[in-house]
Amino acid sequence: MIRAYHVTKRYGDVHALRDVTVKLGKGEFCYVTGPSGAGKTTMLKMLYGAVQPTEGKLLVGGVDVSRLSKRRLPYLRRNIGIVFQDFKLIPTRTLAENVGLALEVLGTSRDVIDRRVNAVLGIVGLRGRGHEYPPTLSGGEQQRVAVARAIVNDPSILLADEPTGNLDGAMAIEVMEILQAINLRGTTVMVATHDTGLMNRFPFRKLRFEAGRLVES
Amino acid sequence: MSPRLKHVFRRAFRSLWENAYLNSVSAGVIAATTLLFGVYLAVQFNLNKMVDTWDRDIHISAYFHPDVPENRRFDVRDEIATRSEVTKVRYVSSEAANEWMQVRMPAMEDILKELGSDTLPSSLEISLTASAARPTAIDAFARTLSVTDFSDVDYGQEWIEKFQGFMAMLKLLGAIMGSLILVAATFLVMNTVHLVVYNRKEELEIQKLVGATEGYVMAPFLVEGLIQGLIGSLLALGGLAAVHRLLVARLKDAFELAVTADLQFLPSSYIALLFAAGSILGVVAALLAVQRFLSKVT
Repeated sequence: MIRAYHVTKRYGDVHALRDVTVKLGKGEFCYVTGPSGAGKTTMLKMLYGAVQPTEGKLLVGGVDVSRLSKRRLPYLRRNIGIVFQDFKLIPTRTLAENVGLALEVLGTSRDVIDRRVNAVLGIVGLRGRGHEYPPTLSGGEQQRVAVARAIVNDPSILLADEPTGNLDGAMAIEVMEILQAINLRGTTVMVATHDTGLMNRFPFRKLRFEAGRLVES
Repeated sequence: MSPRLKHVFRRAFRSLWENAYLNSVSAGVIAATTLLFGVYLAVQFNLNKMVDTWDRDIHISAYFHPDVPENRRFDVRDEIATRSEVTKVRYVSSEAANEWMQVRMPAMEDILKELGSDTLPSSLEISLTASAARPTAIDAFARTLSVTDFSDVDYGQEWIEKFQGFMAMLKLLGAIMGSLILVAATFLVMNTVHLVVYNRKEELEIQKLVGATEGYVMAPFLVEGLIQGLIGSLLALGGLAAVHRLLVARLKDAFELAVTADLQFLPSSYIALLFAAGSILGVVAALLAVQRFLSKVT
């Protein structure tokens, strides 16, 4: 599902990633871990096309991201769900509208959107709360909404950048359980985190980065 | 309507409502610009119309030499009347000219009487077809009149040329001023739309992250721009109608000139042009603003 061949990313003279080669199969769950500044976020950003590799080749779902034009980028992203540490929810839109956004851009009809939104809100434990607004929710609930948005169009890959970074222990576990459940449905999940406790509780493959180099896979 | 289009319109109307103040400012700037454009169009339209009317009214006065015998004068009149460019020829005798002068200038009545009825030369008043009354054509026609029969030919050529020069200058000034105003208005509207875009920055970034194309992100703003343009044009049209009414009333009161009665409002083709200008201004400004924003979003 994800293949990186000698991928390097430089910002001027600074190396964010150096010569990374890694493969990730369909339906796999893995952590991208390492200390701050190790290149975790850069790796994820590359996977959803926010930055392009300086050298090397990166294939995501068969698409060569290293050569992807700006015009083709949206079509790659429709196959990837993304979850951020800061949730990235629109505070002035209801939960249903936030989640439905990913379907709206695909041109899905209102009926189908409503059905799918209700279903995924159920998956993340927020059934019947679609009319509420993000600021009225706890951090854990907001992150669950973000996860619902990420999976509403049934992507084959789910990327989560420090999804539990802003959450306390219980809430973090809740979110991880949801991500695990999504993975069990066949979605490839990649979670960037440096929370060792969480990685021990949910043991999966680890891609460990240090100073931009992949030191453990 | 396709679901995608429905989403676009829903977003556009929602944003118009949620950013009512900024959108009103945009529509106001478009209204002011379109109003100026409308004033320019109205002035040009009325001046053109006036020139057309004058062109139709233009006739040549050809004054006979005093020694041309009367029967020759009639022959010349009949010969000229047969020409294709001529619509009417009227012979004005010396006596008739004298009488006309006395009626028009009563103060000179005594002097004219004293000078005698044959003081003023007899003449032909020649009316031409519309195409022959155009400045270059009328000049060419005047040259064909025999110098042996006529002592002087008058058709106000100097005045026509001056007026044409004025019209050309007005068009040039209008084009220069119009371009400057258009650039300034585009810039103003673009910056206002940019504020709306920044108000929705987060939402647009998320749209891009979940796979929205640039076209999808842009479309609601273009719809907003179009609506702002149409509202602005409508306001401008209302303003123009009010100015027109006021101007006609004032000019009538002040001068009682016949010309003010002919001061016409814009015809439908010009009104369509006004709406097109306002809409294009709104859409182009929105396009530039969103493109500027999207160029910075990954």
